Amino acid sequence: MSFAISTRAELLKTKRSASFWLTISAAAMMPGLFFLAHYFKPEGAIKALENDPWGTQFMWGWESLNFFIFPLYVILICTLIPQIEFKNNTWKQVFASPQSLSNIYFSKFLTIHLMTFFFYLSFTFFMILSGVLTSLLNSDFNFLRKTINWQTLATLSFKSYLSILGISAIQYWFSLRFKNFIAPVGIGLALLVVSFIAYQFKWEHIYKFPFAHPLLTQQTFGKVGRPLIENHEWNSILYFLAFILIGLLDLKFKKEKG
Amino acid sequence: MNSLLIETKALSYNFSNGVKTLDNINLQVEEGSIYGFLGPNGAGKTTTLRLLLGLLRKQQGSIEIFGKNFESERLDILKRLGSLIEQPSLYAHLTAKENLEVYRRIYGSGKNRIDEVLQLVGLTYTKNKKVKQFSLGMKQRLSIAVALLHAPKLLLLDEPTNGLDPNGIIETRELIKKLNKEEGVTILVSSHILAEIEKMATHVGIIHKGKMLFQGTLSQLQNLKKERSFLELETTNNETAWNLLQPYAAERKNGHLVLPFETNAQTASINRLLLENGIDVYRLQPQQNDLEQLFIDITSDKL
Repeated sequence: MSFAISTRAELLKTKRSASFWLTISAAAMMPGLFFLAHYFKPEGAIKALENDPWGTQFMWGWESLNFFIFPLYVILICTLIPQIEFKNNTWKQVFASPQSLSNIYFSKFLTIHLMTFFFYLSFTFFMILSGVLTSLLNSDFNFLRKTINWQTLATLSFKSYLSILGISAIQYWFSLRFKNFIAPVGIGLALLVVSFIAYQFKWEHIYKFPFAHPLLTQQTFGKVGRPLIENHEWNSILYFLAFILIGLLDLKFKKEKG
Repeated sequence: MNSLLIETKALSYNFSNGVKTLDNINLQVEEGSIYGFLGPNGAGKTTTLRLLLGLLRKQQGSIEIFGKNFESERLDILKRLGSLIEQPSLYAHLTAKENLEVYRRIYGSGKNRIDEVLQLVGLTYTKNKKVKQFSLGMKQRLSIAVALLHAPKLLLLDEPTNGLDPNGIIETRELIKKLNKEEGVTILVSSHILAEIEKMATHVGIIHKGKMLFQGTLSQLQNLKKERSFLELETTNNETAWNLLQPYAAERKNGHLVLPFETNAQTASINRLLLENGIDVYRLQPQQNDLEQLFIDITSDKL
């Protein structure tokens, strides 16, 4: 009960905050670009999208999402939510309020994940909106005549979510440790770049590297004979559990709070 | 003696640089009092208050609030106290009302409390304005409103008038007095300005370099002030004057006379006595150590 109350208070803090606008704009970016590209340069797209417009368009969207936008979004949102307290100098009031440390810690983390969920929903909504508008403005596109494969969409969303769990816990820990915005974002971006390099060089242990997990999910999705949950996704869950505990203990044993 | 709402025993604290920030602090805040916690900047006031709220991990000594051990009953204690530590802690992107709503949810106060506390601090007309548009004084008042949401029995206010204009200082002081008198809230308020504390406190604690130099009622402090006031006197004939003023415990010092200061009326009668005995008075100067001077004396190691 008290955890629900803490989370509701946390959600209110995100109102009109940078984290809210980041979620909307990051989710709208690819659908917006697709819409503009189809509107101004329809020729190639009409042909490419002819057979399975929704499936193809969603796969294009998810590719850019899982390779770059989504991990970047997670790095930013994990920093922006705790930054609400740092920026406003409000940590001391939070810690001096009658909430247990674990309530404070987990309600903020849950808020991050609720924002992530909101991101998924917004992305899906904007993708559909983009397809519908494209077809309404140019009837050569057949989005309105085809159906969406919701099951594939749900499975990919679920696996993509599993793949960012590790990053989210690591970044949340960083962002609680560093008072400034640049440090956790900088470290996160650097690790993301490392994951691209490791991927390019086909490093054999890449599945152990949490920042590479979203792109591995994208790479393996849809291939025949793969398990529902891949090895790297299990690793992501393990990183999540380990770092969420490290973060909590770090907060608990901090000498100075707020 | 009234019951103590806050009691620390032998509270000491060192920051990592090894400097003793607090040394054996025995703070005693009586129920129903306005306790002025006085000390120059860097004396250890904020460190003490942060320890009381659990924002710093206790190293030595004990802390009891509402008669309960802070460490074991943290949540229960925090439910019953309100605090404002250093600068206002508010969400700039939210309105005044939304800021209060965040904490109303946490404290589980009734919805009507938001309007009540806004009225109490005189911010009803700005409840839908974003806090980033607020002046410092308004932010300070809103922070006090946050601290009052759950009708706490105890308020900890750290330099609540810092950075305020004279009008803001008066308003905040009046609010503190009103809360104490009308709502029965016990208030621990820190400040580095004695005049400020003198105008509202019933009890005073003076801290300097991490040590508690004085703790007692305001009248006890004023008595101390009286004990340390004296009259300086220079006349045409100091020797005769000294003889005449023996009943007043006059002493000779550096070519003039010094005697304890009692009242203005007594000073006038001393002057009259000297004139009636043919002694002209060059200088009759009460060195009435006001509390400000006393505070400076206490905190500059003169005591």
